[in-house]
Amino acid sequence: MTEPAAGPAPLAGVFAAAERQLVICNACRYCEGYCAVFPALERRLELAAGDITHLADLCHDCRDCYTACMYAPPHEFAINLPAALSAVRGHTCDEYPPRPPWPASRRATMAVTGLAAIAVLAVLGGAAGGSGQAAAASPYRVIAYPALLVAAGLPAAWGAAVMAWSAARYWRDTGGRGLASPRVLLAALSQAATLRNLRGGGAGCAYPGDEPSAARRRLHGLVAWGFAACVASTVAAAISQDIAGDPPPYPVLSAPVLLGVAGGAGMVAGCAGLLALRRVAHTEPAREDPALARRGRALLAGLLTLAVTGLLTLVLRDTAAFAPVLAVHLAAVVACFAIAPYTKFTHAVFRFLALVRDNAEAGPAGPGRAP
Amino acid sequence: MTAGEPWDVVVIGGGNAGLVAAITAREAGASRVLLLERAPAALRGGNTRHTRNVRCVHDTGDQYTPGAYPYDELWRDLCAVGDGPSDERLAAHTVRLSESVPAWMSAHGIRWQPPLTGTLHLGRTNRFFLGGGKALVNAYHRTAEAAGVAVRYDATAQNMDFAGDRCAAVLTADGDRIPARAVVCASGGFEANIGWLRRYWGDAADNFLIRGPATNDGRMLAALYCRGAARAGQERGFHAVAIDARSPRFDGGIATRLDSIPFSVVVNTSGERFYDEGEDLWPKRYAIWGRLIAGQDGQIAYSVWDSKVNRLFLPPMYGPVAAPDVAGVARALGLDPHALATTVARYNKAVVPGAFDPSRLDGCRTDGLSPAKSNWAQPIDTPPFYGIAMRPGITFTFMGVRVTEEARVVTVDGGTLGNVFAAGEIMSGNILSSGYLGGFGLTIGTVWGRIAGAAAAREATR
Repeated sequence: MTEPAAGPAPLAGVFAAAERQLVICNACRYCEGYCAVFPALERRLELAAGDITHLADLCHDCRDCYTACMYAPPHEFAINLPAALSAVRGHTCDEYPPRPPWPASRRATMAVTGLAAIAVLAVLGGAAGGSGQAAAASPYRVIAYPALLVAAGLPAAWGAAVMAWSAARYWRDTGGRGLASPRVLLAALSQAATLRNLRGGGAGCAYPGDEPSAARRRLHGLVAWGFAACVASTVAAAISQDIAGDPPPYPVLSAPVLLGVAGGAGMVAGCAGLLALRRVAHTEPAREDPALARRGRALLAGLLTLAVTGLLTLVLRDTAAFAPVLAVHLAAVVACFAIAPYTKFTHAVFRFLALVRDNAEAGPAGPGRAP
Repeated sequence: MTAGEPWDVVVIGGGNAGLVAAITAREAGASRVLLLERAPAALRGGNTRHTRNVRCVHDTGDQYTPGAYPYDELWRDLCAVGDGPSDERLAAHTVRLSESVPAWMSAHGIRWQPPLTGTLHLGRTNRFFLGGGKALVNAYHRTAEAAGVAVRYDATAQNMDFAGDRCAAVLTADGDRIPARAVVCASGGFEANIGWLRRYWGDAADNFLIRGPATNDGRMLAALYCRGAARAGQERGFHAVAIDARSPRFDGGIATRLDSIPFSVVVNTSGERFYDEGEDLWPKRYAIWGRLIAGQDGQIAYSVWDSKVNRLFLPPMYGPVAAPDVAGVARALGLDPHALATTVARYNKAVVPGAFDPSRLDGCRTDGLSPAKSNWAQPIDTPPFYGIAMRPGITFTFMGVRVTEEARVVTVDGGTLGNVFAAGEIMSGNILSSGYLGGFGLTIGTVWGRIAGAAAAREATR
């Protein structure tokens, strides 16, 4: 979808498939207690494409509604809402970022971007290589600080700009409001931080099997909080270096190292756990769009690579392996920054915006109470 | 187990009553309990899949049922539907025992949620379980499995092998002979057996839509009658609601139900009104409309409303027809445009102005119109106009087997079928006559599932 739907235009593709199911869900409403999707659906009599996009991102994929659905296959209504909404999310991932400046298939785009990032890093590393004056175990022995700044900063800025662009288009298409309200923002932040919509109304997620389980929410929490801790570690390092005037390496008992280790360990455990759950998640029938499932695995593999190489640079920083491991880690960082806006990483942005909109719509009474 | 060694308790039917009976039998000391589920695992639970709440006595409110619902009030509500309770003693027993049902359900894995949006007026009396009936069935299966109940899917019980006045084994459609010390029949009504319905309803039965699975054909009920079980309940007793005429013949469930009636006028194929659409609060009246429509020509009726009230009820899954005028709605529904326009104009003229309030009996009524509309009467005058064709949607039949207070199946000669017990819809005719009270089917199933399960365990282990 590239334009906001004007009026109740006929829907096609993933939107038509989702709409067919959502209309039945809105006439049933048994799943109202599981998550925010159903109360949000009940506030709507007609569904435009933007509404369906919004509902799809509000869905946190707990799959309780599938397990509870008497209309799930083999029933002739063939309701499989987790799969239908995940297909819409895949479409959102595809359609909201601007076209990349190079003409290529998505897979080629990923490969080219990744390789280019690695090449950039290699060139910068070779031309502006590390200084023998930097302390042992300092990254600046491998790559000079300005080179590192350019190598990581450029793709980071690019990634952030593209995601901001995608977010703005998404916000326009889903007709959102409420970004300016502290109440709404706080509520959305708290729901995102606790993954409230993966609680299944207290029942947990029907994932990876049909039995209720908290594994998904806990592991996802590890990944998200681990990622946040890694970002905080970088910020702490920047503060130590540029404000406190204390160059790396930092001792084990310092904010950058402790945050980095905790965050990295959380990401490793979370990503590995989620990948393991994916291997045993239900397949009969699949409750996720296969294309989005591939992107989910790719995101987890990417984050896992980042976390593992990051931890290794710390563990090996006093050994001869430090330089090559750091190079690999930096290459991974650069590549991930560059391609992030074209991966499932964006789901964090879209889902947060969906939570903001939902809290704005639901009013102070909170989700579950349609007006 | 070795071939031929009998199960302590065999439960026929994997809906609410059967699951409750199986779990209870296990807890009451039956060591080997087998539940026969006719459906494959993906469709297990029968009509229970389509339920969503349970109506029980509670003397105080809580977060899920705000406000008390004392014994006397539930009893009055039960007496006010149809011809009242069939057997006052068993009905009173059911109402009395209903008070312990929610706590029992909670203790066996059921979670609750606040009353669903759009279910006007049900919040105080009825308790909604999280996720609806299939979630309830899933939770009970988990509990049953943990308790050691064996479950056999795709197992259609269709007869019993008797030794004297005691059932020795359950016989399945696949030719299995399953020996049992005690048997609980929780196999539901016969609403999906159109041929059986035709005996009492004639050709009209061909126009009935069945809200639950096509497998509810009553073959165990027929087997029990053959064995001399006494009948309980009326031949034409059933719970039927107005559902979209476009619904599937079987298993359309809740999504096909129409709640537009109190905010609309309802006409027959001649375009004429035939009953007071605003007689009482919808949860007390929705269950009469299936029967009302079953009594109309062609077993079809049409609900017509305007844009003022379009958001006041659950949106129909197939969507209404819409037109800029009433005649357009009539044409889209295949009705005589002149007849419908005349009916609506006459109704509009009869509406007495008042303060419309969908949340209570608002007294907005018609004057000098027959039949009257007693509440929520507003002129139908704001385009676009909407309409939907409705048919009777049969939820379950009441006619079943007579039981004792211990859920033993009573025979026509006044004895009992030894070790055979019944719970749920198959014995609901002991309690319900011709009317229905929303959420009470689950109450009957849970109360009598517990009674039958415990009694069967006693029978098997004594």
